[in-house]
Amino acid sequence: MTGQNNHALPEGGDFTLQSVQGPVSLKDFRGKVVLVYFGYSMCPDICPTNLSMMAGALGQLSKEELQRVQGLFISVDPERDSVQRLAEYTQYFHPAIMGITGKPEVIAELAKRYGAAYKKVVLDSATNYVVDHSSETYVIDPQGKLVERLPHGALPEQILATIRKYL
Amino acid sequence: MKKLPYIMFALFSLLFSSHLQANSQASDDISIIDPYVRAVPPGQKISAAFLQLDNASDTMQSIVSASSPAAEVVELHTHIHDNGMMKMRRIKKIDIPAKGQTVLKPGGLHIMLIDLKNNLKPGQEVSVTLKFSDGSEKTFSAPVRKIQMPGMMKKMQH
Repeated sequence: MTGQNNHALPEGGDFTLQSVQGPVSLKDFRGKVVLVYFGYSMCPDICPTNLSMMAGALGQLSKEELQRVQGLFISVDPERDSVQRLAEYTQYFHPAIMGITGKPEVIAELAKRYGAAYKKVVLDSATNYVVDHSSETYVIDPQGKLVERLPHGALPEQILATIRKYL
Repeated sequence: MKKLPYIMFALFSLLFSSHLQANSQASDDISIIDPYVRAVPPGQKISAAFLQLDNASDTMQSIVSASSPAAEVVELHTHIHDNGMMKMRRIKKIDIPAKGQTVLKPGGLHIMLIDLKNNLKPGQEVSVTLKFSDGSEKTFSAPVRKIQMPGMMKKMQH
């Protein structure tokens, strides 16, 4: 599952977005394995599923390991997701997952570099609009390089094994 | 909200169904198995109910709407996995094949609870009423749970 991805990985790379505690750059996490997921907090099912899986993996790490791992939830819906809201949302899953977002054009450029896709869709629904989105988890190694993509619904064991591979 | 026609319809269904329909109602033929509602982070206004539906009858049955006192609006939704994109869409009905089953689960069909009246925490129970195409209804209570996926179930029960 990992081999097929490696030859066709997007470029990835550094970015700076906003968290409830101020600007956050990927560079801040050099020396750590970083898991990046693009989604939005109003996502009823797909995002919570993946964040639960990520939390399930993080929860199995030792304290020492956990200090070298960071989860990043990047909201592609800054219109509805304030940094406060994102902090509250991600903390619920695991304290090592941080919610960040930014200006739509910044997110668009960054998503493109990571091969993440999303599209706002207005539905005949009380949700007003939903965001269609890709649902991979991007694995960044301690040098800041995008090294792997995990598929939607990857189980905690698979995520855990991937984290440990790069620690 | 066009509630009145629905209420009228429900009333008529209730009044006449027992007299006019010799056959059993959808609500009698459908069994609800392992329902649960996803626990949500603080401030989250949406959630989803998942369950398995078994149809004991010889005819296909369809859920046409759902309601719950826990949410202002309840809708039927599904996810379409389209070339890596997850697309959530509202649907008009959920079919349960004759002598068959339909599973509502994460990443697929679900009953979406919108504008939750209270935060949903594990341990709570949520009442959900399904309405079938023949006008009959079935109400069940679903426990609020953190996510449950294949392979995680054993861990979740620790």
